[in-house]
Amino acid sequence: MSRDLLPVASGPRIRAVLGGLLRERRGIVVGGLVALLASAGASMAVAPLLGLVVDVVVDRRGPDAVTAPVLGLVAAALAQGALAVLGGVLVARAGEGLLADLRERFVARALALPVARVEEAGAGDLTSRVTSDLSLVGDAVREAVPNVARGGLVIVATLVGLAALDWRFLLAALVALPVQALTARWYLRRSTPLYAEQRRVGGAQQQQLLDTVGGIGTVRSLVLHDEHRERVSSRAADVVALALRVVRLQTGFFGRLNLAEFLGIAAVLATGTWLVSIDAASVGTASAAALYFIALFTPINETLFLLDTVQSAGASLARVVGVADLEPTPERPPAEEGTVEVRGVRHAYVPGHEVLSDVDLDVPAGARVALVGASGAGKTTLAGLVAGVHVPTAGAVHAGRVGLVTQEVHVFAGPLADDLRLAAPSASDDDLAAAIEAVGASGWVAALPEGIDTVVGAGGHTLTGAQAQQLALARLLLADPPVAVLDEATAEAGSSGARVLDDAAERVLAGRTGIVVAHRLVQAATADRIVVMDAGRIVESGTHDELLTAGGRYARLWSTQQGS
Amino acid sequence: MTNERHPGGRSVGAARSVLGDALRARRGPIAAATVLFCGHQAGEALVPVLVGVVIDRAVATGDPGALAFWLAVLGLDFLVLSFSYRWGARRSWYADVTTDQALRLRVADRVLDPRGGAETGRLPGELTSVAVTDAKRVGVVAFALPLGIAALAAMAVAATVLLTSSLVLGVLVLLGTPLLLGAVHLLGRPLERRSGPEQEAAARASGVAADLVEGFRVLGGLRARPAAVTRYVGASRAALAATLGATRAQALYQGAVLAMNGLFLALVALVGGRLAASGVISVGELVAAVGLAQFLVTPLQILGWVNGRLAQGRASSKRIGDVLASPFAVVPSSPREGNPDGDRALESSPHEPAKGELRVRGALDGVDLDLEPGAHVGVVCADPADAVALVRALAREGEHPAVVTLDGTDVTTLAPEHSRRRVLVAAHDAVLFSGTVAEAVGAAAVGDVRPALAAAHADQVAEVLPDGLDSAVSEQGRSLSGGQRQRLALARALAADPPVLVLHDPTTAVDAVTEARIADGVATLRTGRTTLVVATRPALLAATDRVVHVVDGRVAATGTHATLLDDPTYRGALG
Repeated sequence: MSRDLLPVASGPRIRAVLGGLLRERRGIVVGGLVALLASAGASMAVAPLLGLVVDVVVDRRGPDAVTAPVLGLVAAALAQGALAVLGGVLVARAGEGLLADLRERFVARALALPVARVEEAGAGDLTSRVTSDLSLVGDAVREAVPNVARGGLVIVATLVGLAALDWRFLLAALVALPVQALTARWYLRRSTPLYAEQRRVGGAQQQQLLDTVGGIGTVRSLVLHDEHRERVSSRAADVVALALRVVRLQTGFFGRLNLAEFLGIAAVLATGTWLVSIDAASVGTASAAALYFIALFTPINETLFLLDTVQSAGASLARVVGVADLEPTPERPPAEEGTVEVRGVRHAYVPGHEVLSDVDLDVPAGARVALVGASGAGKTTLAGLVAGVHVPTAGAVHAGRVGLVTQEVHVFAGPLADDLRLAAPSASDDDLAAAIEAVGASGWVAALPEGIDTVVGAGGHTLTGAQAQQLALARLLLADPPVAVLDEATAEAGSSGARVLDDAAERVLAGRTGIVVAHRLVQAATADRIVVMDAGRIVESGTHDELLTAGGRYARLWSTQQGS
Repeated sequence: MTNERHPGGRSVGAARSVLGDALRARRGPIAAATVLFCGHQAGEALVPVLVGVVIDRAVATGDPGALAFWLAVLGLDFLVLSFSYRWGARRSWYADVTTDQALRLRVADRVLDPRGGAETGRLPGELTSVAVTDAKRVGVVAFALPLGIAALAAMAVAATVLLTSSLVLGVLVLLGTPLLLGAVHLLGRPLERRSGPEQEAAARASGVAADLVEGFRVLGGLRARPAAVTRYVGASRAALAATLGATRAQALYQGAVLAMNGLFLALVALVGGRLAASGVISVGELVAAVGLAQFLVTPLQILGWVNGRLAQGRASSKRIGDVLASPFAVVPSSPREGNPDGDRALESSPHEPAKGELRVRGALDGVDLDLEPGAHVGVVCADPADAVALVRALAREGEHPAVVTLDGTDVTTLAPEHSRRRVLVAAHDAVLFSGTVAEAVGAAAVGDVRPALAAAHADQVAEVLPDGLDSAVSEQGRSLSGGQRQRLALARALAADPPVLVLHDPTTAVDAVTEARIADGVATLRTGRTTLVVATRPALLAATDRVVHVVDGRVAATGTHATLLDDPTYRGALG
């Protein structure tokens, strides 16, 4: 099945967005890089100063002549440390600030996307961008980019230092370069797909464990232990196999770099021998060149190793920027009116597959309409069209500000009061307490460890399905829209919470225009009008008594549901 | 939390044995890796030494023969260090991942034990984190241990080289380096304390983002998206402030480490330079000493890292041990207690085909139920909590005072999986596992699943899905609507065709039209098989032979749904 995924930014577009964000903090970026470069420069002084110590020894100038270069070493150490602090702080401030701007823009645009657009892309697309992509980019900005910058600057400064000793030392050191370049290319080609595969397989195993652990009650009642053990262990074998492929790749990478190290150091030492023999350099200078080159081992290995993180973060960045770069779609404020008009509406999610045909519905302000029908009759689609979740394929829907509660409940992680205030940011504590009371939740809310300030949702106190639904209804009450659409909003709880939820729904609907998708006919019976739907059309419409008298579909349903 | 439930030495012993057992089980690769990593560290230590030798013998003398010879020795050293690292890393990583996976499986096995109990008092995320994060941390010990031993070996090599060239310089480097690292460790300690809250703040920001996106449709339904964006910006700015505070500390720490390393090097250069200038040591030995002073930092850092992993590994090992040692929620009341092999023996032993006669005595506050084979009985509980307690007793979730007998056998004497195969309880919140629709429905199926699909009206669910029965069910069925999920779960229970089937609120998320069809479908499919329906929906109850009405934990009335409807308290209990 092909999905219309959310946009992915092109290379030039990523550069433009990053460039814009960097320009906003140009001073800090430049200052940080200069400080890091200066710190690397100070570290360059170490090897020649050690070379001077060697020369003092070789030239037999006596122990006291050692003092001067050693003081130089002390100064270099202090300068190096101080500049590194300054550079580290500035680079982190630029990187973290940029990251915060980017993620905020991303979330703002993501949350402004039309629901239908996100559904087209599949829920997983946006979720994976907000979880894995955003964190991969964050890790890269936090860990890889500063270290690659620092390592790169150290490498450049060292090469400059080698050239300053004698240009021929630089040439000797560059013997290692082709091996390193080939190694980096060899590694990057393999690492990105391999690490992606490793993340995928690891994620699948974790998901399997979560599936099994979360559904352990079901596993037990159906005696599926052996099957689930098999599911977990078969993924274990995949994880081990991939981990071994990864270690082979990494040891191969370091092995090749070891070869580069040896070629380089051998060339530098041979060059040193030659230059000393022709009196073009002192033994001290040759020692300094060798020490320079040894000091390059770690930054080169680290920098090349991190290139992979930078490369994978690039792919994630393209997906983050793709969303962050969307034009913001201004949401026009809907009218505060309670009438709902549906005129000649047809709707198809997939072209040619009409799920609603020729639907007309007029709901006067303050009236309540119940939608009744079998699954697939089009009730949820009609409710969604009224709530503005979807735009009808043909026809028109006129409604004021609509609040929608479906059976899809989500408890927002954080204090319960914050969850409620999403619907009404300026609600007072009294408003919240009143809404909780109205949906019949004051008892259990008061019993929570910290009452309304208890952290609920992911990582906090877990609420039952019925409690989460009460919360959803309380949010709707706080949002106070003139039109409320409840799509099976009281269904999920099971019979244990049904009555409480029915009462809560009743209070939420009081004084509003209400459109209610009802499963249990007792919910529908009290509505001002009952609309019976079948196969995308309205087939019956009237009050409970009218429909019973008419003896049609609704009357038959009513008698089966009463079981008489 | 886990500590409180398992106080005292028992769990500590268990913890030690988890880590100890794990390492013992991989002692071959761990020992091999240790030897190889020692070779690698020795090789690394020899690089600056050999460079010093080249400077002494070749650079200072200009002897091309000596140059060629010593460069060849250096090459050999690189060969040894490179290959010993390669093979060592492969062996230790093998030990790491296989330990990790073996522990995951042990935790999964404990969670999957039919007697249950592992999840008591633990959230699913918490248990999964024990199986994933803690297992990984114990696994890492298998990787860290060889590295740590090799780091010690490297220090020994460096010490030998240094002490043989100059006692003073050797003592200076060998005492100075650990002192230096001790000071660095002290400097870093406040940083470690800070990095926890900082990571939390950063994690909170990304958690808030993921959470808001997950509740995307709910926000849309309430036009609460602008408020959500404002909320996120607040979390993001708080994370930024916390991160910047921590990175300042981090930068300060890194700067201090750089400066201290540099100062120590200056000290070594001062002492070594004076010794060399006085002719006590050679130039090459000076270069080697300076190089070794730099080199020693790495093994000492490795030791610090290994120490941290060991501490983490021990803590994780204890958490795993706690899960493994968690008491069983249900224990068969026979001599087979604590003897899983006995259970298996019973399971495999031939037994009479079940007739499906179910008796319950003393459930709740004295509810007795008698279901003759093939009966189709409803139970309506005025208090939903009573329904849950009754269903849990029949499902053998935990220990209950009720006596449940099946065909005359007390089920508490059976292994739980054995009684559950005969008395299948389909909970109203049963989870669908990932796979195709056909796999999800067929999970426990005996024979063809199509009649069960039709009876639960789940064949229609499959029809509207893109790939029919081959459509994917993911993330515990979250890709389906509540009604679709419920019908598939019901079909799955029906397809298992158990002698006794207990259905708890099977149609709460199903519309009225479909519910009536399901009630008929279930009654027809289960003809001749014992079925107990614990529910409040009239359509389901109307399809039963008789209904037991439970009020305040006692049987208030028994009769057909139609006759009970005359009772207003019964009507009031219906949903």
